[in-house]
Parts: sequence; C-alpha cells; structure tokens
Amino acid sequence: MKGYIRTAAALAAAVVCFAQAPPASARRTSDAYNYDRWGEAIPSQSGYTALRSVSGSDLGTSAFSGLSDICLCDGKFYIADAGNNRIVIADEKLESITAELTEFDYRGEKLSIGNPGGVYASEEGLVYIADTGNSRIIRCDEEGNTDLVITRPVSEQYTAVTFMPKRVLCDRAGFIYVADENVTSGAVMFDPEGNFRGYYGANRVEQTGEVLRNYFWKFLANDEMRRYMTNSVPAAVSSFDTDDSGFIYTCSSSLSQDVDKIKKVNAAGYNLFADLDTHFGDMPSADYSDYPQNSYVDIDVSPSGLINCLDYTNGRIFQYDEDCNLLFIFGEKGYQLGTFRQVSAIESTDEQVFVADSQKNTITVFGETKFGETVHRATALYNAGYYEEALEPWFEVLRRDGNYRRAYMGIASAYINQGNYADAMKYAKIADSQWRYDRAFEGWRERWISRNFIPAALVLLLAAAAAAVLKKIFRNRKLRSSAPEAVTAAAAEVTEEGADDK
Amino acid sequence: MMDLSEKQWVKHAVMHPFEGFEDMRWKKSGSLKISFAIVALFFIGTVVHDRLYAFHFMNSYDRLFNIVPYIVKSIVIFAAWVTANWSVCTLLDGEGTLRRICIFSSYALIPYVASQFLTTIMSHLLVNDEGVFISCVYAAGLIWSGVLMFNAVKTAHQYSVLKTAAAVVLTVAGMLVMMFLLVLVMSLFQKVGIFIYSIYTELQYRFRV
Repeated sequence: MKGYIRTAAALAAAVVCFAQAPPASARRTSDAYNYDRWGEAIPSQSGYTALRSVSGSDLGTSAFSGLSDICLCDGKFYIADAGNNRIVIADEKLESITAELTEFDYRGEKLSIGNPGGVYASEEGLVYIADTGNSRIIRCDEEGNTDLVITRPVSEQYTAVTFMPKRVLCDRAGFIYVADENVTSGAVMFDPEGNFRGYYGANRVEQTGEVLRNYFWKFLANDEMRRYMTNSVPAAVSSFDTDDSGFIYTCSSSLSQDVDKIKKVNAAGYNLFADLDTHFGDMPSADYSDYPQNSYVDIDVSPSGLINCLDYTNGRIFQYDEDCNLLFIFGEKGYQLGTFRQVSAIESTDEQVFVADSQKNTITVFGETKFGETVHRATALYNAGYYEEALEPWFEVLRRDGNYRRAYMGIASAYINQGNYADAMKYAKIADSQWRYDRAFEGWRERWISRNFIPAALVLLLAAAAAAVLKKIFRNRKLRSSAPEAVTAAAAEVTEEGADDK
Repeated sequence: MMDLSEKQWVKHAVMHPFEGFEDMRWKKSGSLKISFAIVALFFIGTVVHDRLYAFHFMNSYDRLFNIVPYIVKSIVIFAAWVTANWSVCTLLDGEGTLRRICIFSSYALIPYVASQFLTTIMSHLLVNDEGVFISCVYAAGLIWSGVLMFNAVKTAHQYSVLKTAAAVVLTVAGMLVMMFLLVLVMSLFQKVGIFIYSIYTELQYRFRV
C-alpha cells in the first residue's frame, strides 16, 4: 500500500514537472548544426539567437523596399534602401533614424540615386554609395554634399561594356574598391581622386577537366573557331569587407566556380587563405545532385576578427574565426524571426550580427547566446596564444556541447603547455588532432624516460643477461641429449653446425 | 649435413636468401603446418598494422570496421598468388608442386610479417620526427621478402633468373584474371540468389491470399 502511494506521488510530481517545463525555446528557429572531423553534419548548440527584426517603420520612417546593403561605422548604421532610392542613417541600436539621404549636391547640381546596391562609410565620415542604377559611385558627407562622382573608367584595361557597381569599399588610404558582377578581373580600384587604378584581388579559375579540355582545343583552333568556344573566366567578386589591420576579405556568389569563394587579400592582391585546407560553407555531401551550393552575397569581419559569410542559397550565416575554423552556422529560409527569404547584406559587432533581407525588408538582429559567448571568449584567448587561460571557457563549452571539436583541441593545447601530457594525449585523441597528440606523446615519453631511466636500464640489462644464460643452458642440454645416441663424428658435426648457426 | 629441424629450416631459409630454398629443396624440407601458421600471422599482422598503429602516425576511420578487406589483403591474396603461380608455372615447365610453392612463398613472407609487427611496436615508441626509422624497417622487410619470394619461385620451379621474372609477371596477371572471375562469379551468384528470393516472396504472396 505504501508502495502504491509512493508511486502515485512520484507520478504526480513528474506530471507537475512536465506541465511546468517551458516549451523548447520559443525563439529557436532552426536546428543548429556543425561539421565534425569527417565533414558530416552533427547537431550542435546555437551560437546566435534572433533577437528582433527591424523594419522601416520600426525606425520611424517609411517601409524599406529592396534593402540592398547595410554598413555599420562609428556607431551609425548606413542602410541602402534600393527600392526607395535613398540612404538611411540610423543609430547603433537601430531604434530611430538620424538622417535620410535622397538628394546630393554636386558642384551646384542636384543628383539623385537610382537603385543603390551598396553603401560604405569611412572613419572620416565620408559616405560612399554604389549608385547601381546610374552606373556611378558617389562620395559625399552625411548631409549629401558630394565631392566626387566616379563613372565608367575610360581605359584600355577596363574591358567590361557596362559599369554596374554593386558594392563599394574604401581602404585607409582612401582608395576606392568597387565590386561589379560583370567584371571578372577582381574589384575595380580607384585612387582617392577617382582615377581608375586597375583591378584588385582577382579570383582564380578552377582547374576542372572541362577547363583543361577547352585549353587544349583552343590551342589547336583558329581565331574564327575560338570566338565560338566557351571562355573560362574567374568568378566576379560579389562583396567585400575590410578588417582593422587593413586586409580586404572578398566573397563570390558564383555557383559554377568552387575556388576562391572566400578570400583574405593582402595589399599585394595575394589570397592569404589560398594555402589553407578549409572548405567554406556547407560540405559537399555524397549526393551531389541534391546539394544546394552556397552562394555568398556578402561577407563581414567583426572588430575582433570573426568572419561572417552570408549564404544566399540557404539564407545561412557561416561564422569563422580568424584562422578559418568554423564556429557557428545559423539562419535558414523561412518566414519567422531569424529566417530569411532573400538575404542581401550582413554586418556585425563583436556581440551581434545584423542581416538585411531584401524581400522581407527587415534587418534581423542576432545576439550571441551564452554558448556563443563562451566559444568566442575561448577562441579569442586561444588564437591569441593564451592556451591556459582558455582552458576554463573550453570546459564550459564542452559542458554545453560535448561534440564541439575545437574545445578538445584547445584543451589538449593547454595541457601540453602545462606539461600535463597524459591528459593532453587523451584530449588530442578525442579531438583527432595528430600533431597535438604527437607533441604530447613526445613530452610524455621524455618525462617517462627521465623518471624511469635507471629501473628501465636495469630491467633491460637483467633481461639480456637472463637470455644469454638461458641460451647457454639450453644448448648444453641439447648437446648432452644428442651425444649418447650419435656416433662421435656426428656429434662433432652438430657442434660445428651450432657454431655456424650463430 | 644439413640435418635441421623444421624450425631451424625456417631460420635457414630466411637468413640465406640465395641458397636457403635450394638447400630446402634438396633436403625436401618445409612443413605445411608452419606455412599455414605464417599466413595466419600475416593476416593478424595486417590487422594489427592497420588498427593498433599509434595514433600520431596513422589516423584510421574508426566508425567502420570490417574484417573482410583484411582477409582479402592477406589470406586471399596469398592463396591467389600460390594458385596463379602453380597454374602459370605448370604451363611453363616448372617443377614446383602446389605444396612446395605454398611452403616456399609463405617462408618468403616472414620478413614482411615481422616488419608489420615491428613497425607497429615502434610507432608506439617513436614520435613523428623519428618516423623515418619506421619507414626504414618497413622498407627493409618489404625488400627482403621480395628477394626471398623471387628466389622461392626460382627454386621451386628450377628456373633461370629471366624466366623467373617472366613467371612473376605472368603470375600477377593470373591473379588479376582470377580476381576478375571471382568478382564475376560472385555477382552472378548474387543475381541468382536475388532471383530465387524474389520467386520465394512471390509464392509467399500467392499462397497467403
């Protein structure tokens, strides 16, 4: 009877518990995933969660139409509202607008913009606008006073028929970079006076079998034939961003080319990611036909160096650390908060990520979760070389997601630094990091030898001595047993044989 | 002279790559039991070398483990070698019997099998920078076994060097043909199996209603 009561009480308690348990996070919009060592998608914790979405009316202005670009600079948001032919300037928290640019004074003339594709603001307070509809770049201040207008370059080097600037960027020296979907030689570069200065950061052509075959046939063909053959051209740069040290990151939205989709370009135009063995974006699954390729429309580097890549195909954001290790994947296609219909631009601070959607016409604000914050803290410490300081956040990461491979790597590295080789070997093995295991093993072996040299040497010596003695005894016994039955001559032969054998 | 026990013959054959097999042939020595034991060790060595190798030298895909590839890589390949060699050399006036080919070939495997075990042990004692020693041991085992195998064929059939080389090439070709036929037969049998199974299911459906 007592047992029944106890059972009933337990059941009742369970019912109460489950009834009061909150439903699985109402804000959760997608199943977060990550990639494991073998490139297979595994469930993970989400690093970001959508906080709110901001429309035009939320900012106190008319609704956006075809949001094409956003740029965050010096605590101000510059929003390119392509459908309404205006640039909206809003405060950092995206609560209200501070200015709206529709008219631009240029040498006494009033200019207007048509379908602006990109906007960029420099530290000096200059606003650069890619005026796609009018095929020009406008540089102005925040009141719209324009001091420079760049149109299609007149140069033999500029071979594209049109000039359709989609994105614009300026580096510290004031050089202006323009991304144009029709220009395959890289970003178009202008000096601060607006003179055409060539191209920057051209992509490579992927060496596929088809390209090699075309190359061969072109070698044989005459000019007339060549004109009708397909040309292999590199993908155009679709967008770019610059980090604090002046490197320019580019992305490409090409679906046919798989190389140079994400690049970090130095001043000489060399891709620093070229030698990295990193596959950006989704891993190609075994079934290629159903594999929607990633198409990166925008890239953003946060102040602390996190690289956010915006994938148009799936409406996803892939976040990498400065060494191109995948941290988080978030966002997807849909209609709810935190999902997208047609992503167009991305911006980020260290804690938040802002994504513009040109069909929903909202800017979605993502905030980092506790998990995301821990991973970022650990990654920053680890990448800066503070392995031991990163130990505590890495363990916190593991408590929340035991599949997070980088945590095991970080812990292994920290243990190697601390001289805790046995544990380092254990974690390196889980992390599947061979070079860490090798280093930990080397330390472990060295320590083992220095601690156990005398006993080990003694054991070896004793073993050798024992083997020698046993061999002698064994041989004597064999001789004695074979001697009586064989004739003396045969016995002598066997002894010789034994000597030979040695 | 040369009154060695079977165990001593093993040592003699391995340590005297160029005369060992001749002596064995002359004395009609060699035991099938030891031969099978060596092939068994070859199989175990293949598995050990692939699975127990130190992590910092080799990273295997641990989610899957299938014993069949290891059987094929060791026992089946050895059996194919012996059969193919016997078939080819019978046509090429070879003197070797199936038993002798099997014994000589397996004795020739010993250095390689030893290197499999030795390198696996060494991998747990050395770090990556010292990996060249492991490669040396492995290569030594491989070359030694290769020389022994060549002389095993040469002795078993009493060939000249050139004829032995030709026989080895033909044997490898014969092995490929055998493998091809094997795969063909297996797929055919599979088809037959599927056919019988589909008849069975068909009948099952008929009689249930």
